[in-house]
Amino acid sequence: MSNQDRTTVVILGAGKGGTALLELFTRLPGVEIAGIADQDASAPALQHASQLGIPITQDLVSLISLQGINLIVNVTGDPHLDLLVAAHKHPETEVLGGSASKVLWDFVQHASQIQSQLFQTEKLAGMGTFASGIAHDINNPLYILLAFAENILEETDDPRIHEQVRSIIEAGKRIQGICQNITRYARATNTDNAIAVEVNEKLDEALNIARYATTLQDLTIVKSFGEHVEVLVNPGELFQVLVNLMTNAIQAMEGKGTLTLSTSCENGVGKISIADTGSGIPTENLEKIFDPFFTTKPLGQGTGLGLHNVKTIIKKYRGELRVESKVGKGTTFSIELPRSPK
Amino acid sequence: MSESQTAGMFSGRESEGLVLVVDDESDVRKVVRMTLEKSGYDVVEAEDGEKAIEEIKKGENSILLNLIITDIRMPNMNGIDVINYYKKEWPSVPIIVLTGFPDVEMSTTMLQHGVSDYLVKPVESEKLRASVAKALEQREVRGF
Repeated sequence: MSNQDRTTVVILGAGKGGTALLELFTRLPGVEIAGIADQDASAPALQHASQLGIPITQDLVSLISLQGINLIVNVTGDPHLDLLVAAHKHPETEVLGGSASKVLWDFVQHASQIQSQLFQTEKLAGMGTFASGIAHDINNPLYILLAFAENILEETDDPRIHEQVRSIIEAGKRIQGICQNITRYARATNTDNAIAVEVNEKLDEALNIARYATTLQDLTIVKSFGEHVEVLVNPGELFQVLVNLMTNAIQAMEGKGTLTLSTSCENGVGKISIADTGSGIPTENLEKIFDPFFTTKPLGQGTGLGLHNVKTIIKKYRGELRVESKVGKGTTFSIELPRSPK
Repeated sequence: MSESQTAGMFSGRESEGLVLVVDDESDVRKVVRMTLEKSGYDVVEAEDGEKAIEEIKKGENSILLNLIITDIRMPNMNGIDVINYYKKEWPSVPIIVLTGFPDVEMSTTMLQHGVSDYLVKPVESEKLRASVAKALEQREVRGF
């Protein structure tokens, strides 16, 4: 690429906007960053830039008045700076400031958000493949173990041997159950057809997975299931929704409390509610919990995408998702999904 | 007893049928053999599809073959290709899939392709025997 094709840029402002632009510009082959400036020496993008070998300065004027600059991007948000830039820049240098640079910054943030969402989806799908691969590799030896044990049962009448072999079979069946749960969860990311799904069964299946959410297990499960509650969804996605909500509920109770699962059917709409007696959600967070990347969990323990995905899935099937919560009392999530297409 | 030997074939008793068991894991073949021999079936083992065809042809038992029980993950072949491979050689012999993959879509595809049953390991001996009996019964009804 010739020098004429390259755009030489300086960034004014090294806060969040400066950081986002720095990341974007360093990835663009046609852009060269001549420097980044901020009056605050501790601004985050300054350190990042110096690691990348990009000139940094607190003297904005020196950077603005540099020769050969094609574009100045001002993301300081300081209106007075526009005058300073106009006074000191070379006539051929263009300026992107005010709302234009704000829009650019928003766009960059949006793109990076989508990218991490995509990454998360790929990661989930990858985990699905990984998990079903493991289940397969366990099922083969498990079959050998269980079938030989059954054979011993058939070939001997000794009650002591029978008792021990039965214990082996019981233990094997528990492993089988865990494997089945893993593959069911793994499958959640793999198909996309909506069919009539029996909700009560899915709640039970999801509970089998969500139980692993905490090590402490002192849960009372209350089930209040209506008869034949069916909804039209992709079974895997509904399963993902239920596992997610139940995991949150169990974690909010730190493994101790009452989890109430209710289902009913009214006027062609299937209703599901998941209620916990956990810590509850403060009112100021209630509106934010469905936003992507909102999390109150410690770093590395929550992606902040769980409830966002739950909401996206429910909306996809023309459903409603509601939350009621009281700090110290608990939280109830209610889902309504249509039973038939229309 | 060698893995390719057909047990009970010449023992004088009447056989319930000759079953080919294909799996790359020898212990899986062994337990299937044990389970089926107790119910009076004769069993031929092979570790993959190619070897299965070789074995059956070698024993000149091709016309006697009543049923195939096979995994669908083979070193050289996977999924529906495995089924088509057998179908080409023995179009009328029923096939039971015995696999470690509990895959709903795969099982639907397999059943649509004429597979008699899709069993997921670990399968209980009784269930395996019932599935084998049913596959052979259907075969008789169809008049193969």
